[in-house]
Amino acid sequence: MSLLRAAESCISKQRSYKALNAFINLSDKHAVLRQAEHADTDTIAARPLHGRLIGIKDNICTSDLPTTSASGILKNFTSPYDATVVKILRHAGAIVAGKTNMDEFGMGSHSVHSYFGPVAFARDQKNEASQEQLSAGGSSGGSAVAVATGQCWAALGTDTGGSVRLPAAYTGIVGFKPSYGLVSRWGVIAYANSLDTVGVLAQDATIAQEIFDEINEYDDKDPTSLPKSTRARISETSVQRSDRVSALRIGVPLEYNIHELQPDIRRAWSHLLRRLRENGHSIQPVSLPTTKQALSAYYVLAPAEASSNLAKYDGVRYGSRASGPDGADGVLFSKTRGEGFGDEVKRRILLGAYTLSAGAIDNYFIQAQKVRRLVQEDFDRTFSLPNPLKENEVSSQCQNSGVDVLLSPSAPTRPPLLKSLEDQSPLDAYMNDVFTVPASLAGLPAVSVPIKVVDHIAPFGFQIIGQYGDDSLVLQVAQLLESL
Amino acid sequence: MGHPRNSINSRLRITSAQLPYICRGCMRRLQLHGGQPLRVNAQPRTIRALHITSITPEQIIPFRKQVKDEAKERKSKGKLNANRFNGKASDDRLKNWELTVGIEIHAELNTGRKLFSSAATSSGDVPNTHVALFDVAFPGSQPQFQKETLIPALRAALALQCDIQRKSSFDRKHYFYQDQPNGYQITQYYEPFAKGGRITLYDHDGIAPEDGKSVTIGIKQIQMEQDTAKTIQYPPSTHLLDFNRVSHPLIEIITLPHIHHPSTAAACVRKIQQILKSVNAVVTGMELGGLRADVNVSVRRKDKSDANSGRSYAGVTGLGQRTEIKNLSSFKAVEDAISAERDRQISVLEAGGVIEGETRGWSLGSTETRRLRGKEGEIDYRYMPDPDLGPVIIGEVRSFNWFLDFYLLILLQTLIEHLHKRLPLLPDDLVNLLTDPKKYNISLKDAKTLVALDDGERLEFYFEVCNELNLNFSKEGEENISVRLNKAACNWVLHELGGLLTTSGLPWDEQPIDIKTIASIVWNVDQKRITGTAAKQVLATKFEGDKRAVDQIVEEEDLLLRPLSDEQYLIMAEELVTENPAMVKAIKDKGQKGKIMWFVGQMMRKGGDGRVEAGRAEQMLKKVLDIP
Repeated sequence: MSLLRAAESCISKQRSYKALNAFINLSDKHAVLRQAEHADTDTIAARPLHGRLIGIKDNICTSDLPTTSASGILKNFTSPYDATVVKILRHAGAIVAGKTNMDEFGMGSHSVHSYFGPVAFARDQKNEASQEQLSAGGSSGGSAVAVATGQCWAALGTDTGGSVRLPAAYTGIVGFKPSYGLVSRWGVIAYANSLDTVGVLAQDATIAQEIFDEINEYDDKDPTSLPKSTRARISETSVQRSDRVSALRIGVPLEYNIHELQPDIRRAWSHLLRRLRENGHSIQPVSLPTTKQALSAYYVLAPAEASSNLAKYDGVRYGSRASGPDGADGVLFSKTRGEGFGDEVKRRILLGAYTLSAGAIDNYFIQAQKVRRLVQEDFDRTFSLPNPLKENEVSSQCQNSGVDVLLSPSAPTRPPLLKSLEDQSPLDAYMNDVFTVPASLAGLPAVSVPIKVVDHIAPFGFQIIGQYGDDSLVLQVAQLLESL
Repeated sequence: MGHPRNSINSRLRITSAQLPYICRGCMRRLQLHGGQPLRVNAQPRTIRALHITSITPEQIIPFRKQVKDEAKERKSKGKLNANRFNGKASDDRLKNWELTVGIEIHAELNTGRKLFSSAATSSGDVPNTHVALFDVAFPGSQPQFQKETLIPALRAALALQCDIQRKSSFDRKHYFYQDQPNGYQITQYYEPFAKGGRITLYDHDGIAPEDGKSVTIGIKQIQMEQDTAKTIQYPPSTHLLDFNRVSHPLIEIITLPHIHHPSTAAACVRKIQQILKSVNAVVTGMELGGLRADVNVSVRRKDKSDANSGRSYAGVTGLGQRTEIKNLSSFKAVEDAISAERDRQISVLEAGGVIEGETRGWSLGSTETRRLRGKEGEIDYRYMPDPDLGPVIIGEVRSFNWFLDFYLLILLQTLIEHLHKRLPLLPDDLVNLLTDPKKYNISLKDAKTLVALDDGERLEFYFEVCNELNLNFSKEGEENISVRLNKAACNWVLHELGGLLTTSGLPWDEQPIDIKTIASIVWNVDQKRITGTAAKQVLATKFEGDKRAVDQIVEEEDLLLRPLSDEQYLIMAEELVTENPAMVKAIKDKGQKGKIMWFVGQMMRKGGDGRVEAGRAEQMLKKVLDIP
């Protein structure tokens, strides 16, 4: 199929799936088709992204389309610059399909907390009736639905505690969160800086790999971008250990076998493990004892950073602004911020402001940072590869006893019906992140891959987690699982 | 304040505009509401609020004007008020109470770039022309620590004898204000870059007599932080924001509560400013708003009867409840505000009251501090380590390993040593050098004045004059000629030139006298080629803009001292004695020998053009009057 035909197909699906609300703003149709047509005639270009339509999550800055973060406070905001990742994609010949819908500022697990209305998911058009609509997962639900329904070739999302992996699992596509620091965050609107990671949503792991290969680049604009020297060391290691895929040591974290795990997902998990063993890989139970505290730690740390990051939205320099004086009701900017933010954002700002307050910081923020450190140490004990960020520390683990990757379900349940969410408390939503949050806290690469284990049951997302910097192995294992 | 998105975008693009940019929306709104149209070229009232919030910030007033205003204020209130702090009743009370003061000084660093972006620092440029995306907190932008800003900060810390910390880090201090785009200020709360310094103040620095010859004040820490934007007020309700200053690097210097007298506190701030200037860490001082002080004030009974219930700060125990006075903009304000607050606290306590821990303000020329906010109004700043900024590491890097330390600054230990070695002489060392009888031999008072004047430029000028004199004239073989010339040069640079500057009102950097002129005058006087009176005339002529060289003026104006013969002296002396019999009588009969000098004066006048030498005239007069 020519690139032009593919683009036309995407645009036609954008029309037919409009009700799912995957996009907040679409690129101009004619401009997209012109670019695709031009790409077809451009014979020099052989790069995989050339002429492909890529959706961009709406918290990633673009200078030609508004960047709203799905928030009322940025509803009319257009950034004066392109995020580094957008610049790279454009340079590689990709076409920006549009800006995808999401939970406001990335805060949510079902992509329903959007100023522009909730995202919905249905596996095919006949199920689009609102009774049957499913949660798309969050917060990158718009990107996931757009890819799953063919509205674009692939999409960028952001993953702070599972925001790429959960929607990928719910919509049956691949969602990859790279190691923290590999992909530039310059131009990515911060939710929780120490966790935010740009991720890729794609139909398969090969496409995810192709996009990752482009955006995996040092950026001096991002102070947390991993330095070139460390990148060089990491790639050396992975070349040396490239033989691992033929006989993997796969770890199964015992603490992930929780009571809340849906029985058919548990069955699928063991089925999958059995099949891997049959294919010559070894399965090892491993223990990550701090898993139980990880979710709580995440919901202390992420809101704390969010309360700080969102303090800039005061309507003074950009964004929406309430009418009347700024200090009208005695508290500066409270009217602008009260009108501009949605409920979930307000909830997390309050939560974060509290855990950072003088009386609470020791019991919450400091404790959560300690838990985060323990979670990292759990993982380092488990993997056979040492953590490249701590190379000089005497590694206590014996390389032979460690595992190459960890394998678990991406979420404890299948996607809930959208209408069932109405009765849920915020805490129920937070529960969906229980399997994805630990890798985020440790900054590890993780991918969710849809696996059809038994023929008559719909595929479900399984998560592969690797050591820091072992991104290429994680993606190779994803391809292996796809081929089972 | 407040501009829709489009306007900020266009403002960021302004490169050269004649007038400060004002958002069109603002103009329209103002006109719609029947307000007066904005006069953009009117002198705006500029407000300075270094890091603080919700305080009505003081207006910047040039120091000279402030002193004048204060004098006026005192005059209008009568002498009673002016003596308030020094009254006898106050003296008696101070016997029972001890004052304790700690100071926080904020100073704008002398750097080319902002703390977290490559935008240039500036002052007085067209508003909003030096602004990077992060400076105005655009979504998705991130800080880029400019490591060059560390250099002046390190120089300041070394000059204040601090220990430079191997590892320091940046934290966010949260509060909402329109002059702070991110909603937080990035500062160093948990791990400052310098700790444990000290500064010694001497009696000649103006410390209180009770402190004796010298007193040493501990410095708890120095931290780096961001400045805020400048607010320009257009009353009644419009605020314009100039983001050129936002994120200009500052240091905050925090002293220990080691100060017990208001004048010592003022001397401390003055000396810290001098030191910061001398090591080129700052550009401007308090007089231009480049430096601000907050003071923490408490009192306790001297008999220590309440020592057990006392509070402590950084290891200093037994302190009374303190209050903080924010945003003091002159040395005098520091001294007066502390005196007033001390007296207020003593009055409250003696009346059986309790001091509230609160923040107070001080207005120029007032006699009392005023309450700004109490404990219940204290802001919880919710300090949080900045997740975008890794720690700053100063020191040798042994290997490339770091874990979650995203940002590693590599500065070799040798840099610190290098900076230390190249640190210019500090004010105390300069004063010691200038008063050294074997080098410059000038008085302590003159030495301190020279060091303090014109940002050190006067001193620089003086050294160059001395250099010129020594190069050209010291080969004469006379033993102490160099010290003698140096001492004489000081008089000309400081007092004679100073007098002309005062009369003319010219600032130092516009004065027309060059180094060669002063050196030549000093040499001519020293060699008795011209008299002092003639020399002053030459200097005044040059100051008026005369282009001729000193020697040419001396020659053409006939100023060269042609020594009069002894006969000429004798004739003049005899004439004067004959003309003034009454004076002669007073000297001879009543023994009023001092009157001889009256005759000397008369003779010098008679001689004209400074040709009569006082010494020879006196000799001749004594001879004529026949007194030994």
